[in-house]
Amino acid sequence: MIPFLLRRVVQSIPTLFLASLLIFFIIQLAPGDFLTPAKLNPNISPEQIANLERNFGLDRHPIEQYFLWMKNMLFNFDFGLSFMYQQPALDVMKPRIVNSLWLVLLTTVFFYAISIPLGVYGAVRQNSLADKSVNVVLYFLLGFPSFFLALIVIFGILELKRITGGRIDLPFGGMTSAGFNDLSQFRQVLDILSHLLIPALVLAISDAAGLTRVIRGQMLEVMRADYIRTARAKGVSENTAIWKHTFRNAILPIVAGIGSLLPAAISGAGLLEVVFGYPGITPMILEALGAQDLYLIAGFTVIGTVLLILGNALSDILLAVVDPRIKVG
Amino acid sequence: MKKILTLALALSVGTAAAQSQSTFTWPNAWTAEPNTANKRGGELRLAQFSDFKSFNPFTSSEADSIPIRMGSGSGLFTQDPRNDEFIPYMAAAPAVISNNNKRFVVKIRQGMKFSDGKDITVDDFITTWKIHTDDKVGSNSRDSFFLAGKPITLKKIDNYTIQFDFPQTSASALGIMSFTPWPDHIFGAAYRSGGADAVKKLWTLATPASQIVSPGTWTLESYRAGERTVFKKNTYWGDWNKDSRGQELPYLNTMSVRIFADANAQLAAFLAGQVDTVPMRNADDLAQTKRAIDNGSLKAFLKANASPQATSQWITFNWNKDGDAAKQKLFRDVRFRRAMSHIANRDAMVQLALGGLGTPTYYSVYPIFRQQIDAGVAAGAPQYKYNLAEASRLLAQLGYSKKNAQGYLQNSAGKVLEFNLSTNAGNTVREQLGRIFADEAKKVGVKVNFTPIDFNALVSQLTAKGENRPFDAILLGLSGGSNVWSFGNNVVPCGSNLHSYNNPTSGKCLTSQEQLMTKLYYQGDAELNDARRRAIGAQLMKTEGELQPVIYLVGANFHVAFNERLGGEFPAAMMDAYYGHRFNALTFIK
Repeated sequence: MIPFLLRRVVQSIPTLFLASLLIFFIIQLAPGDFLTPAKLNPNISPEQIANLERNFGLDRHPIEQYFLWMKNMLFNFDFGLSFMYQQPALDVMKPRIVNSLWLVLLTTVFFYAISIPLGVYGAVRQNSLADKSVNVVLYFLLGFPSFFLALIVIFGILELKRITGGRIDLPFGGMTSAGFNDLSQFRQVLDILSHLLIPALVLAISDAAGLTRVIRGQMLEVMRADYIRTARAKGVSENTAIWKHTFRNAILPIVAGIGSLLPAAISGAGLLEVVFGYPGITPMILEALGAQDLYLIAGFTVIGTVLLILGNALSDILLAVVDPRIKVG
Repeated sequence: MKKILTLALALSVGTAAAQSQSTFTWPNAWTAEPNTANKRGGELRLAQFSDFKSFNPFTSSEADSIPIRMGSGSGLFTQDPRNDEFIPYMAAAPAVISNNNKRFVVKIRQGMKFSDGKDITVDDFITTWKIHTDDKVGSNSRDSFFLAGKPITLKKIDNYTIQFDFPQTSASALGIMSFTPWPDHIFGAAYRSGGADAVKKLWTLATPASQIVSPGTWTLESYRAGERTVFKKNTYWGDWNKDSRGQELPYLNTMSVRIFADANAQLAAFLAGQVDTVPMRNADDLAQTKRAIDNGSLKAFLKANASPQATSQWITFNWNKDGDAAKQKLFRDVRFRRAMSHIANRDAMVQLALGGLGTPTYYSVYPIFRQQIDAGVAAGAPQYKYNLAEASRLLAQLGYSKKNAQGYLQNSAGKVLEFNLSTNAGNTVREQLGRIFADEAKKVGVKVNFTPIDFNALVSQLTAKGENRPFDAILLGLSGGSNVWSFGNNVVPCGSNLHSYNNPTSGKCLTSQEQLMTKLYYQGDAELNDARRRAIGAQLMKTEGELQPVIYLVGANFHVAFNERLGGEFPAAMMDAYYGHRFNALTFIK
């Protein structure tokens, strides 16, 4: 195990170096910089723009900027200053990453809670009416962008509120209610949970479509295998045959995919966060991209890359645990 | 009897004077619905589009930043929305002016306090000015303390008297002096010990809200990144801000601002009654709000087309095209530019691109600044309105009278009349404006190659200097400016960076009209008398109109919508894009 991990660490060094180089220079390739919009402001003089360029280090050559950035990141764990926020990029990202993490965790719980039973049920009762209707809905959801689903859900909540004369008023948008600070700690947790519920469900449902179909297909394949027939013939109960023998073998592709959860967890729930006004990573990164906030974009992408490498290593280890045929070392 | 009367009068004047020394009374006429029942408390729930970036007033660069929201209800002078006049606010009395209108001595009110209870004195103003003007700090307000490149200086006379020295007379002087003072005991102390770097490290988003100090109506209560910021009232502010019945202001306890990254979600929250007011972007927003009001699910005030927005949309032609002599000659010919103005179908632009909710524009002055526009029109500032026949006639004078097989005009040498026009990709309104312009141009035989391009690339083209700048024509917009002198100091004078049509390396004017406009710009800025300044502005508009260096197109309109739980808004006639629809200080929850 330890040689495996060491090898992974060594392999990740050139990967990270190349990734950071690409990230930094692709951002630099875009025309203009953070101060470009300021040039259109009739109240800011060219001298002041030059001052700011000097203050932000934008007047230096990109290669010099890159090495400075690298040096600070390696030796001081300093990801650079966000131009927009005028504070370290890491400090800007931290609260957003934590917020996204909560949403993604809850989504993951819902995601598995929906797709595993549905997939298994679909395989066990293949071609039943229920299986067929689930399939139709899933087909529909597969081609449906999650942000659009979210907009429809918001519309639905508004209509529900109107029809019931305001008696049913589900929270949507943001992470907390007004007056959150005055609530007791227990109520605060409940408040956040109630705000997480709808976006997490929407995201889980729209994502579950894919996984459900994978699990259903895997289960069907494994159920036809000789050893399951043998197990059944030997008289194991139906439950054991399905969950212990079939399911355990069918989840290998899921385990292999767990590694991608780690970077996904910090990259947040994507456009859904934008639609629900949730203070996660995506709204911030979108704004940073629009404003060409160099170090914030670059820093975030580097963290994402590190987590991707970690996640892949984790996947390999987990696979070895689940599947005795695979060995790391 | 007479004696007693005089005495009584003297006494009442005396107390009134004493009171006016220490308090500012918010006029009753600033609200359509005075809070006579003295309702207090409650929360004003606002929404905004972009996230808050900083608590630090010196490094913050956003329009609706936390420091700007806190700083509302501060400044030496404030503008009366009824007549645009500056009245003493933190100043105890009008400024004493001397030295050819260049020196202003201002006494500030005594007894004003920051939200931490410390007195506001002249030191706070001086420190704020010093830090803003230090180029190592990188404050966005730095340029507002300079006039034509020369610094405005501040001097402390005593704790409550301050002296401003301007390098030249300026109509904008009172506005320039009305900046928000930040606490010397925090920023001054840091600046003296650690310079610009120490100031930049103060009040980051990680600073606890309780350490943030405000001179204005509001101070910070809590901040949640990307989600919501809550402000609470600065209780000391009510000591010197009273309503017309002598009650302390503000009536509200709290103001919260929620962040929405998506405009549809923001509108949904307003329709659901979760926020009290949101900007109405377009006809669609208005229709949805109207429907919600009509079907009874929302009780709200709605006023469409309250005024034009304080913005402009225009097409500028590049006069510096040494690489293409034919185009340079064309763009420099006033008849060509007038023809282009005749081609701009502004009514169609309002109808198609703005959904009928806009105003055609013909001048650099935003149509919201009605008084200046009226003065210009009265002085005969021309408007080259939609008229394709007139456009054809002007183009024929330039030698373009025959059309080729494709229907495009060409001159005797067989050269087709065409140019490239770009705007920033993604701005749907500008993309539509450009399409309409190109379609109309085709009708008279002008080939306009319209391409939306990246915003940053566009800006670097526009602001490029030199004899051969890299564009033909650009469709873009500007915003920002005041109703005191409504011309841009970076736009009108030759050599300034947004003098977009002619910007050679030397920065020299090319035509006598440009020279005249530059002269009139500085002359108007130095004229303190409102009527005379407006007259100079009218001459400037006339010169600019005749020269047509930039073709002004249309401006969107400003609409008002707010939840009816709010009271204390302006009378409907006073609502506009410049002043908004209310003062927060006079707002109350019904």
